[in-house]
Amino acid sequence: MASTLRSGNSRWRGLRQLTPWLLLVAGLLLVRFSKGAGFTDAYALISRPFWPGSAQREWIQSAMDLEQRSKLMLLERDNQRLRGLLGLAQDGDADGAVSAAVIARRPRGWWQQLELGKGGLDGIGVNDAVLGPGGLVGRVESVTPATSRVKLLTAPGHEVGVWLPRSRRHGLLVGLGSSRPQLRFIDRDPDVRPGDLVSTSPASTLLPPNIPVGVIQSVNERAVPAAQAVVQLIAAPEAIDWVQVHRR
Amino acid sequence: MGRLHRQPICVASALLVPMTTLATPSWLGLDGVPPSWAVLWLLPWALVDGPVSGALAGVAIGLVMDGLNLGGVSQVPALLLLGWWWGRLGRRAAPVRRTLNLGLLAWLGSMLLGGSLLAQLFVLAGWQLAPALQSWGWHTLWCQALVTGLMAPIVVSLQLLMWRRRVPS
Repeated sequence: MASTLRSGNSRWRGLRQLTPWLLLVAGLLLVRFSKGAGFTDAYALISRPFWPGSAQREWIQSAMDLEQRSKLMLLERDNQRLRGLLGLAQDGDADGAVSAAVIARRPRGWWQQLELGKGGLDGIGVNDAVLGPGGLVGRVESVTPATSRVKLLTAPGHEVGVWLPRSRRHGLLVGLGSSRPQLRFIDRDPDVRPGDLVSTSPASTLLPPNIPVGVIQSVNERAVPAAQAVVQLIAAPEAIDWVQVHRR
Repeated sequence: MGRLHRQPICVASALLVPMTTLATPSWLGLDGVPPSWAVLWLLPWALVDGPVSGALAGVAIGLVMDGLNLGGVSQVPALLLLGWWWGRLGRRAAPVRRTLNLGLLAWLGSMLLGGSLLAQLFVLAGWQLAPALQSWGWHTLWCQALVTGLMAPIVVSLQLLMWRRRVPS
């Protein structure tokens, strides 16, 4: 009897000695299945004072900007050369652009237009493309010696041919008075989806080629005779104080 | 009764209409739609100076405003009619003094102006205006009429006060 009691006590003692090891194993398994969450969080908390400062981030950012700019310059040069070989109109270069201040704006109402502080004396002509920060805003409708009037892309009945770079399809952007113009396609299946970029056609002769216009917001594939889409313009005329007029 | 058109300072006040139209900030409107400054100027003019002067002033201001806009539709027919109507009201009826009446007249005038523009758009589109364009047209019409009607009691009352002092009936 006494020997059985002794053996039971020693079993409990053995288990008690094993408990810390079992807990350790359970903890390790927890760390393993939580992908080391506790460790990384703790490490982040402890090492925070030694993280790279904003100066280093700026150096990296500026280096990346420089790299991007050089890449863009090379691509632009390449693009100009190829366009020259194909006999297409050149991209709007800095020489053909005139910066002009917006002196009056009526982005809503019966007529949707901007008045610019530069006109015929600065070489601006009718049908010149007007660009705001982000993309195309409209086209010059009329010119006086010192001012020019811009018909916004949102103006009712304003039609501009556009291009979808992803699906390589053409469309007609039609102003409906609201802040989001409508994109009409010719094809039954235009292969378009929300988020697609809309730009001017690379082969356009009326507008500078490859200028961003907007982003597809929604698509109505059931429209007759062909699909239609709603476009969110990138450049909002309500908030533009300066524009670039690309002379033709 | 009215000899407003013989006073250069009163005629010169018409210049404020295109200037104010160009300078209207976007916050001075309803959903970005500005008030019709032509209506706000023409109403007191026609009430004080009579139907013929009102109609002529309507045509003149309409032509100026058409020159400032992109084109396509014209404000001249509606402003001519409004100038004539308000001029007759000023001659035949008791003098309009209540601000509520002025607001109502301006609201009606703006509705007529917007209606004429919408009708012209309808005709130009070959009697088939797209539903989206129709809804934009009605939205613009109501917004402009409402904001014009709301501003009339202040703007028109002031002009009436000044012009009636200059040209007492």
